[in-house]
Amino acid sequence: MFDPRESLSVTQDGDRLFAKAQQDGVETVWERHEAQQPQCGFCDMGLSCRICIMGPCRVDPFGEGPQTGVCGADADIIVARNLCRMIAAGAASHSDHGRDLVEVLAGVADGSAIGYKIRDEAKLRRLAEEYGVATEDKKPLVIAGELAQAMMEDYGMRQKAVKMVARAPKKRRAVWEKFGLTPRGIDRETSEMMHRTHMGVDNNWQSLLLQAMRNSLSDGWGGSMIATEVSDILFGVPTPRPTTVNAGVLKDDQVNIVVHGHNPVVSEMVSKACQDKALVDLAKEKGAGGINLVGVCCTGNELLMRRGIAMAGNHLMTELILSTGAVDMMIVDYQCIMPSLGKVAACYHTRMVSTSDKAKFPHMAHHEFHPHNAEKKAVEVVRSAVENYVNRGKVLIPVTSQEAVGGFSVEAILGALGGTPEPLIEAIKAGKIRGAVGIVGCNNPKIKHDYGHVTLTRRLIENDILVVDTGCVAVATAKAGFKVPAAADMAGPGLKAICNALGIPPVLHMGSCVDNVRILVLVSALADALGIDISDLPVAGSAPEWYSEKAVTIGTYFVASGVTTHLGPMPPITGSMNVVNLLTSGLKDVVGATFAVEPDPEKAAVFLRRTIEGKRKALGLDARSVD
Amino acid sequence: MKQVVVHPERCVGCMQCMLACATAHSRSLTLFAAVQETPQPKPRIHVGAGRFNEGFPNRCRHCDPAPCQMACLAGAIYRRDSVDTVMINPDRCINCASCAMACPYGVIRFHEDPLGPSGHAIAVKCDNCSARVAKGQTPACVEICKAGALTYEEMDAAMRRKTRAVAHSMSTDADPSAIPAGVALLKSIKQSELQLSGS
Repeated sequence: MFDPRESLSVTQDGDRLFAKAQQDGVETVWERHEAQQPQCGFCDMGLSCRICIMGPCRVDPFGEGPQTGVCGADADIIVARNLCRMIAAGAASHSDHGRDLVEVLAGVADGSAIGYKIRDEAKLRRLAEEYGVATEDKKPLVIAGELAQAMMEDYGMRQKAVKMVARAPKKRRAVWEKFGLTPRGIDRETSEMMHRTHMGVDNNWQSLLLQAMRNSLSDGWGGSMIATEVSDILFGVPTPRPTTVNAGVLKDDQVNIVVHGHNPVVSEMVSKACQDKALVDLAKEKGAGGINLVGVCCTGNELLMRRGIAMAGNHLMTELILSTGAVDMMIVDYQCIMPSLGKVAACYHTRMVSTSDKAKFPHMAHHEFHPHNAEKKAVEVVRSAVENYVNRGKVLIPVTSQEAVGGFSVEAILGALGGTPEPLIEAIKAGKIRGAVGIVGCNNPKIKHDYGHVTLTRRLIENDILVVDTGCVAVATAKAGFKVPAAADMAGPGLKAICNALGIPPVLHMGSCVDNVRILVLVSALADALGIDISDLPVAGSAPEWYSEKAVTIGTYFVASGVTTHLGPMPPITGSMNVVNLLTSGLKDVVGATFAVEPDPEKAAVFLRRTIEGKRKALGLDARSVD
Repeated sequence: MKQVVVHPERCVGCMQCMLACATAHSRSLTLFAAVQETPQPKPRIHVGAGRFNEGFPNRCRHCDPAPCQMACLAGAIYRRDSVDTVMINPDRCINCASCAMACPYGVIRFHEDPLGPSGHAIAVKCDNCSARVAKGQTPACVEICKAGALTYEEMDAAMRRKTRAVAHSMSTDADPSAIPAGVALLKSIKQSELQLSGS
């Protein structure tokens, strides 16, 4: 029987719902993680290779057993290839998400995507211009169609560079050109990465990792950036707005529908259906006060950013939310959806619905959404959720919800600053704000739930470092109360003054995981305003509790873009000290940034503060010493 | 006489010893076919997780005197001195589990076994791969371990090696890194993670 020595989460709802799950006999991610121990050291170190069937092979890290695979690949090659495939998978995931949005954009243009529309015409025009699509005297739908076609070109092999690479500062683009890192096509780089890692192709570990960086950039400045920008066009550019977070957003007197997964293509339609008058009336007929839509994970973040819709939890909360017994339906699309959810839901009355042709799960009813039928399907599934309300058993919603503010797109941040990045730059120059850290990424049972995110955030803002966050981190810090204006009191004197003056919290919610590109756009704007490269800025990144392949790709595109990035858990690279040294030190001479690994967020805070003060010094600004 | 020697610091927790052991005690003697057998063969070596989630291959120590042998009322447990092995006779075992109560190491399991009477669970433990050794092979767990956690050698030879390593580490200018850098790095990260979560 799994017996955690201490609480598993820094959050109240996490602990209380875990206790409920145990009481209800529900198996969670923590029990399954425990059952996996000890996890195989060959795999943990990146030293097992399953790429071909002359294998499977492993390299003995102690030097006595086999030192190469059957094909002759040594530890450096095996470790590099494994990491490269993680990056390819992460890039593919985000880029497919972008692809689905481009399809909807094309469907809006030709009228086949019923219920979807252009919400931000100005952004549509701006983006079209970037893609070389003339916009003068052209109707928005025509522009949309041509923009969609141009974006599809970004996915292929006809271009020298993915279009939005042009947004990066000139000096950064020059670095990419110098090392052959400029991404040529979104699908192309992933495809080449898979090719290079086939047996007997790229057997130079540095060459493999350079392609991995190029692949990650095809995601960061390609697939993910398209995802975010097209989402803004179709669903609106986020603006700051209040919201609520944690399990307390579930209501015991309303129909609770939870959306999980990533693409707003699905969650936006569900949101629309939840406002359908006939369905709200049906809910009331069933005895509910109304229909309460909440999110978990990134699709929840998309709805929070644009509509202020509440967030029930992040990655490690997705099973626990169900153990409230209050969820009438969970609707999922793709990515980060644990295949255990159907089994957990079966212990309660919760109906589980899968919607993507790409993502089917055990014990879920499949209702496939496509651009032409999503609006209709959403109404169908929401109706089913409403009808399920009467089947509720005992409900335990163990906390009251926490207020938070989200919606900080780059446009919103610049708006809050008065239209230009100048006030932020002045604050950084004056040392009131030392710099900024983007804290991103997931949860992982290897790290106490949200402990890494909350601890790191607190230490950074205490030291006048502005924090921006996305994904699971954004939920963690919102739950911890960092995203209300009063949280400025937790910040150091410099940051506090700025926050109070602008009426913003010290931690800015910038969106979902594809929205990490908003951070790229922001640092580009700051670098351009100062005429420097991103790697000169007093900024850094961190993923204190990451778990997914997508996170490896995001971390890599941040580093490749010049942002030194800290990781909590160690990636599977310790089998090759050459790879470890390149990633944690050697990359400085290539892209001007590196990775660092440190599970303890207190120590990570010291590292990040030192990194930022070091950048300040190099810019000729005042710099503090950090002990 | 050679015996299986365990080097716990080398165990990476891959559990291949368990697979090889079960396969070696099957009827078909290949992994894929062994998994399909009824009853399924089971490993007699068991990898457990340490405090820092490192692996440890737990096998029968073939004690002398053996607590399990002394506890067995049915007289099913005996020692074959020629191969320094404590054996369980599957035909005399009455499945009372007195041996497991006496065993300080938890290496005895109870199940119907391909090499035992059909339809009847019995006590099962490591037999030092006596059948393989009689054919001139090494024990299955040793053969498959690629990290050097299980070796087949004279205990004295293993201890002499260890003495040499310890003596080397005492010299001035000794290389302090007895374990490879990557292994040490991963170990320290895992320990840090576990300590942070209160273990």
